[in-house]
Amino acid sequence: MKVFSNSETFNYSWEEVSTANWRKYCPWNNKSTHVTAVDTVSRTLDPETGILRTERLITCQQSAPEWLKSILGGCSESQVLETSYVDPRHKTVTMVSANLTLSNLINVQETVVYRPVNAHQTQFTQEAQITALCGGWQRIKNSVEDALVKRFRENAAKGKEGFEAVLAMSRHVFAEERERERERMSLIQAQAGNIRMAAVAA
Amino acid sequence: MSQSLAPECNELKERYDTCFLKWYSEKYLRGVGTTNNNECSTMFKEYNTCLHRALKERGIDKLLDDAREDNKDNDATLMGRKKCKTPQRPEH
Repeated sequence: MKVFSNSETFNYSWEEVSTANWRKYCPWNNKSTHVTAVDTVSRTLDPETGILRTERLITCQQSAPEWLKSILGGCSESQVLETSYVDPRHKTVTMVSANLTLSNLINVQETVVYRPVNAHQTQFTQEAQITALCGGWQRIKNSVEDALVKRFRENAAKGKEGFEAVLAMSRHVFAEERERERERMSLIQAQAGNIRMAAVAA
Repeated sequence: MSQSLAPECNELKERYDTCFLKWYSEKYLRGVGTTNNNECSTMFKEYNTCLHRALKERGIDKLLDDAREDNKDNDATLMGRKKCKTPQRPEH
C-alpha cells in the first residue's frame, strides 16, 4: 500500500467552499476535463445531527499511462463513488471516495476534509491510500502503486487551480444574484410607495 | 453544471441541481432546511428514477452496492452515531 497526502488553504469562507464543492466539476473548472459526468445517486439529511449525506457517482475518462492501460484491459471509462458528509454544526465536509471500476485489481480510497481556518479561509486536507490487489509479483504491484501515486501528485496542483476557478466564479455569480435581488426589492418598494400614494390621493 | 452519465437524464438533473444548490446555500447552511422533505424532493425523485434505470442497464448498480458495503465503517463514524451511543447492559 502507498499513501499520498496533501494539504492546501483556500482564501474563501467554509460556506463558500462547501457550496462550490457541489459545482467542482462543472465547465468553470477547465482543469478537470477528465471528469465527464457527475450524478447524485442518493442524498439524505439526518434531522437529529443535521448531517447531510450524499453519494455522487463520478465518471472519468482514464488518463492512465499506456503500459498500465494494457494491463487493465484498455477500458477508458472509469467510475468513482464519492460519499460526502456535511456537518453544519461542526463546519466540516468530509468526502470519502473509492474506485468502482477495477476494484478487484486496485483499491484507491481517498479522504478529503474541508474545515474553516477562520471566517475567510478554509483548509483542505487530502489523503489517498492506494493498494494493488492483483496477485503476482511484488515488483508489478509496486509499479502500479507508484504510477497512481505519481498521478495523484500531478493532479493535486491541477485540482487546486481548477477549484480556485470555480470558487472565483461562484463568488461572482452569487454577488450578481444578490445585486439582482436588491434591484427587485427596491422596485417592489417603489411600487408599494406608488400604490400608497395613489391610495392617499384617492 | 456537470453532465449526467445518461444523456436522457440531463434535463432532470439540471433542474434538480439548480434547486439543490439554492436550498443548500440559502436554507441548509443557515440552519433552516432540516428535513428530508423540501422543495427539491420531487425533482430528485424524477431525476433518480431516470438515473437508476440507466445505472441498471450499464450494470453499475451492483458495483454501487459493493462500494456501499465497503463504506459502512465510514458511515458509522461520520454520521456521528457511533460515539454517542453506549450499549446498555441489562441489570440482573
